[in-house]
Amino acid sequence: MKEKLKVLTLGWEFPPIINGGLGVACYGLSKALSKLVDISLILPKGDLNFLVDNIETIGLNNIDLENLIIQSSSTSYQFLADVSIVDANLLPYQGKDAEILAQKYATADPVMIKERLKKDLSVFDTDDLYDGSLGERVQSFAKIATVLASQKDFDIIHAHDWMTFVAGMEIKAMSGKPLVLHVHSLEVDRNGPESKGWIYQVEKSAMEFADLIVPVSNYTAGVIKTFYGIEADKIVPIHNGIEQVQAYRSESSLPEKIVLFLGRITGQKGPDYFFETASKVIEFMPNVRFVMAGSGNMMKGLIENSAYKHLGNKFHFTGFLSQERVRYLLSIADVYVMPSVSEPFGLSALEAAQFGVPCVISKQAGAAEVLPSALKADFWDVDKMAGNIISILKYKGLRDQLVKDAYHDLSKISWENSAIQLNSVFNERFAVS
Amino acid sequence: MNICFYFQVHQPFRLLDYNFFQIGKDHFYENDALNKQILQKIAANCYLKTNALLLDLIHKHPSFNIAFSISGMALQQFELYQPEVLASFQELAKTGNVEFIAETYYHSLASLYNVEEFEFQVNKHDAAIYAYFGQKPVTFRNTELIYDNAMAKIAEQMGYKTILTEGVDRILKGRGPHCIYNAPHTSHIKVLLRDYELSDDIAFRFGDKNWVDYPITVEKFVDKLQKLEVSAETVNLFIDYETFGEHQPESSGIFSFLKAFVTECIDKQHYTFYSPKQISENLEANNEFFVADFISWADSERDLSAWLSNSMQYEALHKIYAMRNDILKTKNADLIQMWSRLQTSDHFYYMCTKYWADGDIHKYFSPFNSPYDAYIFYMNILSDFELVIKKALKGK
Repeated sequence: MKEKLKVLTLGWEFPPIINGGLGVACYGLSKALSKLVDISLILPKGDLNFLVDNIETIGLNNIDLENLIIQSSSTSYQFLADVSIVDANLLPYQGKDAEILAQKYATADPVMIKERLKKDLSVFDTDDLYDGSLGERVQSFAKIATVLASQKDFDIIHAHDWMTFVAGMEIKAMSGKPLVLHVHSLEVDRNGPESKGWIYQVEKSAMEFADLIVPVSNYTAGVIKTFYGIEADKIVPIHNGIEQVQAYRSESSLPEKIVLFLGRITGQKGPDYFFETASKVIEFMPNVRFVMAGSGNMMKGLIENSAYKHLGNKFHFTGFLSQERVRYLLSIADVYVMPSVSEPFGLSALEAAQFGVPCVISKQAGAAEVLPSALKADFWDVDKMAGNIISILKYKGLRDQLVKDAYHDLSKISWENSAIQLNSVFNERFAVS
Repeated sequence: MNICFYFQVHQPFRLLDYNFFQIGKDHFYENDALNKQILQKIAANCYLKTNALLLDLIHKHPSFNIAFSISGMALQQFELYQPEVLASFQELAKTGNVEFIAETYYHSLASLYNVEEFEFQVNKHDAAIYAYFGQKPVTFRNTELIYDNAMAKIAEQMGYKTILTEGVDRILKGRGPHCIYNAPHTSHIKVLLRDYELSDDIAFRFGDKNWVDYPITVEKFVDKLQKLEVSAETVNLFIDYETFGEHQPESSGIFSFLKAFVTECIDKQHYTFYSPKQISENLEANNEFFVADFISWADSERDLSAWLSNSMQYEALHKIYAMRNDILKTKNADLIQMWSRLQTSDHFYYMCTKYWADGDIHKYFSPFNSPYDAYIFYMNILSDFELVIKKALKGK
């Protein structure tokens, strides 16, 4: 039998720390992949109560600094010295990462290194991995992950999203092992195609430096080609899977039909289009309530929108909800709407489908590729979105068929399938001889 | 042995992307621009060229007979968008070698929902065929060869001598589709069965480079005919006419194949080319074709599932036929015509989800992005149409 590949996975969000799709996807995929390869997973924060069988999980909050330094070989000491002197400012990585990483320094003072590491580790002492000093945290993660990697035997580096890409580049430069970037979300999705800030630069440099890029949809593969200028043969899209859930339906206490939006209320998710769509639907079907579950920087603007006063008693903001509350909402919803402006995947649409809720999603969402049964419209096509919602509410034949067909679509989607595809791409491209 | 060519000619009046917000405002439902464009394209690729080829073959071989079934929807679009197509069919009719077959004028599924409506549409089609081609049809084919025992009986009661349907394996149970069958509970109507293997060799597989028989030559095809059972009396090649030049483009060699095949069969093999009517007059039926559940020539299932297998299709079909009484009460010819065109089976075919997620043949024909869109636009149109009818009835 062929020997299992050894994969060094670099993650950022991981259960129980989950802000969005990234943590869910990294967990689902790694768990399924761990049946096919050996995985060592480095995370900024690991929870000792949440370990996955077969995955060696290293949270930077749990590592023993003394041990780390003592166990380091002299070569890795040398490397440690190299990486630790890289400026905390991320800007130097713009386009010339390889040169910087190649720099060599003659001496290294172990005491100084230890002090620096201590300082680096302290930035993970937070409950919010995305707060103010994110750049510094990304930098520290890169340094420490590189030290850890220097003591490990692995064949492939597998990095999830830009926060771990710097670490991925460093480790590739140190080890010469192939770097695989798993792309769940991009700066141009989050902040529009005009965003060319340092995060974009990190993503672009990493993509250029990487050996393989695995976006979660063909849609995102297109974005990578168009906005990052990466050649197609380096990109292999693999769709996300989904965890099976105990889905249920609940009796709603409201007499009206419920149309649900779930997600961050930020420009990327198209909440303003949802709002416009709602106004349009309510004009023709007053017997409908719209629920927006989530929070974000656009919420205030929507509430202050003059149209909101008009819609007020039919349009509800719930704020951020626990998974349990989200599932309850899914269990009473009649339509799920995801009008994202640019969505690499959109796992929540699949969750809605699991709960038997017909989905109306934008064509600019990766999930559209695996849900032929979702009704689709361009995110800006408010008329078509509204028409789709009304049709689902009005025509029972359509509603029933969409729910039925969605179960068929879901039957073909699993993390096991995604992991099998990923493993075969690993083997095709980086087989250990 | 006999070869029976029957070609199906049909074009639906495709509908618009009619959104919810148009209901109550726009009462035009058909995509005139698209229908015109498609009809003219197919006329150029197929109808005019193939008609000329067949006319030429008939002139060269006076014993070469063929049959057409042309839906009322196709006839109407010829008149609207390209009358010379109609004229070229009339040329063919004048040779006396062409039989025109009866069907429902609107290419509808009326036989499944309302017998009275069904008979009305068949009679309307008969009248149109007589008006255009001077023939009173004696052979009947129901929309997409939908058929069961009752269908044969109804056709016989309406005066037809022959009925066409699909040679479905589960009914034939090892018997070939190459002899003449009779139907239970009927006295004389003859049933002719399509040889789907050989028909689809031409209709579907002709240009398929992955097919073992590609490229199919006249020699290979005739060889297949010669290897049929000794008792084979007729090989019924029932084919969508658009196969020639449209589904199989001219570059595939389909036209030269057709020409060479007919010439070879007549000159060298001494096969006859009888039309269905001539077969019935010349050959006896001595086998029963017993069909309890509906069959058709559509999809691999060869049943009703292309039009009736999901809740959207059931709902849409139920709704259109439930409108009949109100529509007829309006006595408004335009409204009745619109309602009738909305019955065309293609509208329901586009709503089929059977293999939709996996990509299939229904997509090739559908003007819509998805079966759900097909349903939504159709139902929106019916919603508007209901308002129009209501208004018309109030005015009475």
